[in-house]
Amino acid sequence: MGNHLGNGGSYHFRSLNPGLIDRLRSIVGEEGLIYRASELKVYECDGWTIEKNTPELLVLPKNTAEVSAVLRTLYAEGIAFVPRGAGTGLSGGSLPLNAPVMVCTSRMNRILSIDYANRRVEVESGVVNLHVSNAVKAAGFFYAPDPSSQAACTIGGNISENSGGPHTLKYGVTTNHVLGLELVLPDGEVVELGSAVEETCGYDLVGAVVGAEGTVGIVTRATLKLTRQPEACRTFLAIFADVDSATRAVSAIIAAGVIPAAIEMMDQLIIQAVEEAFHVGLPKEAGAVVIIEIDGLAAGIDERAEQVRSLVLANGAKEIRLARDETERAALWKARKRAFGAVGRLAPNYATQDGVVPRTRLPEILREITNVSRRYNLRIGNVFHAGDGNIHPIILYDERDPDQVRRAIEAGRDILKACVEMGGSLSGEHGIGAEKMNEMPLLFSPDDLIVMAELRRVFDPLERSNPNKVIPQPGACVEVAAPRRQVAV
Amino acid sequence: MTEALIKSNHLSLERLAAAFESLLSDSGRVRIAQGPDAEVASLVVEPTTVAELGEIVRKCESDSLALVPLAGGNTLRQIRRHPAIVGVSLSRMDRIVNYEPHDMTVVAQAGITLGKLNQAMAEYRQHLPLDPPHPEKVTLGSLVACAKAGPLRLSEGRVRDLLIGIEFIGHQGRAVRAGGRVVKNVAGYDLMKVMTGSYGTLGIITETVFKVRPVPEKWELLLAPFENASDAFEAADGLYQQLPLLHLEVLSPVVSSQISGTRKSLVVAAIGGNDAEVEYQRGLARDRLKGALSTLTDVAAFETYVRLRDVEFEDAAIEAQIAVLPAKLASCLNALQCEYVAYAGSGVARLFAREVKDAKQALELVSEWRAKARASGGHLRVVSLAKELRSAGIAMFDTVNEGAMKLMAELKRRFDPAGIFNPGCFIGGL
Repeated sequence: MGNHLGNGGSYHFRSLNPGLIDRLRSIVGEEGLIYRASELKVYECDGWTIEKNTPELLVLPKNTAEVSAVLRTLYAEGIAFVPRGAGTGLSGGSLPLNAPVMVCTSRMNRILSIDYANRRVEVESGVVNLHVSNAVKAAGFFYAPDPSSQAACTIGGNISENSGGPHTLKYGVTTNHVLGLELVLPDGEVVELGSAVEETCGYDLVGAVVGAEGTVGIVTRATLKLTRQPEACRTFLAIFADVDSATRAVSAIIAAGVIPAAIEMMDQLIIQAVEEAFHVGLPKEAGAVVIIEIDGLAAGIDERAEQVRSLVLANGAKEIRLARDETERAALWKARKRAFGAVGRLAPNYATQDGVVPRTRLPEILREITNVSRRYNLRIGNVFHAGDGNIHPIILYDERDPDQVRRAIEAGRDILKACVEMGGSLSGEHGIGAEKMNEMPLLFSPDDLIVMAELRRVFDPLERSNPNKVIPQPGACVEVAAPRRQVAV
Repeated sequence: MTEALIKSNHLSLERLAAAFESLLSDSGRVRIAQGPDAEVASLVVEPTTVAELGEIVRKCESDSLALVPLAGGNTLRQIRRHPAIVGVSLSRMDRIVNYEPHDMTVVAQAGITLGKLNQAMAEYRQHLPLDPPHPEKVTLGSLVACAKAGPLRLSEGRVRDLLIGIEFIGHQGRAVRAGGRVVKNVAGYDLMKVMTGSYGTLGIITETVFKVRPVPEKWELLLAPFENASDAFEAADGLYQQLPLLHLEVLSPVVSSQISGTRKSLVVAAIGGNDAEVEYQRGLARDRLKGALSTLTDVAAFETYVRLRDVEFEDAAIEAQIAVLPAKLASCLNALQCEYVAYAGSGVARLFAREVKDAKQALELVSEWRAKARASGGHLRVVSLAKELRSAGIAMFDTVNEGAMKLMAELKRRFDPAGIFNPGCFIGGL
């Protein structure tokens, strides 16, 4: 159906009718709608770029009332939608599948109140993660979950994915820092869940919404916990000949009862990419480097640093360097957080995987990744949260070669399968999204999935919010998967 | 009740017991409840496997029999006004399934007590740092189902922060698993959160997976008495702002006398870490707390911590828990006029009312407490009532807004469509 819109352009809507567009325009204004094909192209995928699908319409509400009115309108028309924050997700969580309308929270970006006495901050869901920490920095606080995309990703997206980050080893992931939520249900009803106090009254619905990957409606507001900045920290770069000895050293630190703020590992391929991109002085010949950060009281931190240093050296490190000042520390973290970007220089495309194994199985899974790399003849780099066994193999490929795309997808699946076989999980922090939906039966029984689907339907009985995500359609995986997969080739 | 009716009830119970017995692989594991158990359930069934428990659930659903998890029974005795027909005891499902000290995770069946679990991990200097009163009596099932916590909540978090996997038996006797054995995991919906604090209303928890923590290398307990509560809270707050304390409490004078022998407001603060950290914190605390600060170490510290953790008023007519904004805890407690253990920094407190004239006065007192907790941004849950007050119509759980309540009712309906899991006594009568 072709629609002639009143502003001089002709646009092709595959399923939406012009009356609906007018009604949505009356809610969010012309500036709150995007429908030109060229502008919609940006929204065809998130950080999971292997699958692409452009929405027919993007709606950008400014506040809860607009979100509610938009969802009520869509609900009445029987139209499904996909929520989106900044689009930095890595599992295709905001890939439109059978959902023609995308609702984006990026214009809802105000920090509403900061309450230092109670260590709480209330934000709109479109606020960028790092902006929260920046706003409270001078007062000596921060917002602990720190995904690598924290300069861009939104709190709403973090809530949907239950995002982690390097420092979650010590400080916990998103769900440990969210106390209360305002949620707009798919029928447009606005509900308040949780509160600003620590104990839950009744069922923990906040806990159910965090990590639900946008399948329960749209979070519009959140009350978060603030964490006091540690008095002191020490950041090390430990250099190893190979990943095996690096993982042994990680285990030794944890076994000694030290819980560092972060332990991040990079293998040789990543070291070289990062060094070429940022010149932070990583030793290019090293088999693996580990960034270890400890923090806490200034008193006693040097003793703890010494403890870490001797544990690392006793477990096979070739060298360990202490960041001498904040500049050196910042450079190390910059290198780590931009590692994914640096890899972009090595191949036209890359897919970042996200699996978890029990920490003691890290050497095994890394060996398995090497095998997978050989089997599929694809280069795979590793940069990951070693402290909690959360791996991020980065599979390099060229999307212009359909066979490479196929091999990249299969290599990723093989790695996930190996994670599950070692007692691990399909995802530590990126979510299941569209990417791993069909792998869910590796981890969960049909009964588990039936009950999980029931939980989703408590909020979204008609499955209008982000359909076809997280839980595979029972008995219909292949049929559903085949037509929707618009693999970029 | 006439003697004939009692006799016929007893006979039908015996028939029912025999029916449940036939679902289990060996005999002697179904009994008619006696003593305190009888206040909670009429029959007690002790399955040994998930499959047996599945059969029990299916039978209860097909015969419309209310089913409750029965651990110590203390919580249920308080919240249930009438016994359910069937109580499931997991006393024979009490194994540690898998403890991986190097991964710092533990998988254990729900029937094991927290005390036993922690004993088993002590040789690796690790523990599950959840410390409700009397861990030797608290099973992991009740720990999770009632979201129990204690002093260490300040530094280590609560059940929702440490529970990484779960198995429960739900509708149609399905064994449902979520989460896993790894400390970081976002695969699938978070049924751990849903089951935590659900008081047995969504299914029977059979297995739990927790991340565990190192026991601090060294720790000490600091005690400082104050003439009045507001000075105590101010001093506690000063410490909280500067130090990463393991736990921090302010006790009302009567509670304080049970812990320390001093009938004054008491600040209790636990500091831990390596030698240098402990020494620094001790010094700073001395400046902050001034006065008659005493420092306890080793056995003395541990014994005092245990008294604090387990503090109980045998003669308390009402025990309640409030959760308010942390900065409002002091003023809220001041307005309540009761005995308390306040978890400063968390905004949570256990409250005790010692003497209550009658049920009517109890009802009024709870209403007043609840109103004040709400005025401080929070809510109140009644933990226990003296037996004679249980018929006063006191709501044990607080309320939530209409929208949230509607979702909670829908959650209950979808997880327990037959309405057999501990029905009728949770929030909003769920």
